[in-house]
Amino acid sequence: MHIVDGALSAPVVIGGTIAALGGIALGLRALPLERIPAAGVLSASFFVASLVHVPVGPSSVHLILNGLAGLVLGWAAFPALFVGLLLQAVFFGFGGLTVLGVNTLNIALPAVLAGLLFGRLAASGTPLAGAVWAGIGGAFAIAATTVMVGISLRLSGDAFIPAAKLVFVTHLPVMAIEGVLTGFAVLLARRVKPELFAALKGASA
Amino acid sequence: MRPLILAALLCLAPLPALAHKVIAAVFPSGEAIEGEIGFSSGDMAAHQEVIVIGPDGAELGRTVTDEDGFFVFTPVQPVAHVFRADLGAGHVAEAVMPAGEVAAILGVGVPEEAAPAVPTAAQGAPLAALSGEERQAIAETVRNELRPLRREIAAYREHNDLQTILGGIGYIAGLFGLGFYLAARRRLAG
Repeated sequence: MHIVDGALSAPVVIGGTIAALGGIALGLRALPLERIPAAGVLSASFFVASLVHVPVGPSSVHLILNGLAGLVLGWAAFPALFVGLLLQAVFFGFGGLTVLGVNTLNIALPAVLAGLLFGRLAASGTPLAGAVWAGIGGAFAIAATTVMVGISLRLSGDAFIPAAKLVFVTHLPVMAIEGVLTGFAVLLARRVKPELFAALKGASA
Repeated sequence: MRPLILAALLCLAPLPALAHKVIAAVFPSGEAIEGEIGFSSGDMAAHQEVIVIGPDGAELGRTVTDEDGFFVFTPVQPVAHVFRADLGAGHVAEAVMPAGEVAAILGVGVPEEAAPAVPTAAQGAPLAALSGEERQAIAETVRNELRPLRREIAAYREHNDLQTILGGIGYIAGLFGLGFYLAARRRLAG
């Protein structure tokens, strides 16, 4: 999921960086004092989730957990995921510093979309119904991320269909696992700490 | 059932390990440059085309990796060699051999000097008693013996230990704590 240094053409890298900066600025504005600790926790979960590998055939892919961040944080997922990605690049060598903007965009924009589409649904109704919607949102975020990665590669010259297909197919198990994981995370949060979503509704209403 | 699984695995084998970092390394090997391309998980990139580029961007040649992700390229010009392989899906492997090392390879050239590290002296056999072919064979054996070791070192280098992970989490906590502090200060002041 992390595109590495040198795989993308310069216009894609620059465009991605500018878009990511815009997203981070928007996200910081949408991050009130009360949400900062939640953003930190989700940033840390994202950082660690990348170390959980899911074997797919002879290869493996890792969890991303961007959907959950988007559902809880909305636009504020941008800075949270950016920090996670930055530290992954520095500590683990995932991705790279020049493509950080593109990677942030590819991972945070689907998260925000998932938050906009499913955030309200996950926060309302019974906890169980909310969890189901959250699960769909979590899987959706991964699917959208694979499409974004495919587009980035396409703009840099790779053939879109094979590249996107490859990324999409290998991430099908991740989608399933993340859907379930996100669903359970939201179920737990709705049962134990309902104010996590109450604050979200208050902020977006 | 077994053949079916095997066939499926073989079909999937060229797929890059998406979650992993690409590792590429080149080293002098006799009169050629040997290199390996793989992923930090230990999966090697088999049958992968490697493009060799000179310092001016001109293509010097191409080579293909074997089953274990190893490739061999015989340099002709004493210039820096850049080895590039596009593993698809955003993975690009790149390794550079500086001009000095390439020149050393070309300067040595003859097989007699090909394997300076071969421990033939330790066996008590005088160096002169070995023919060039024997030396080649010994050099080949040593390289083969070193391969798993080299791979293990590469895998170890990519290993993420608990300290690194905790360090990263610490950074996140500190960063968001700082943000929280600054936001709280602004609110208290306002």
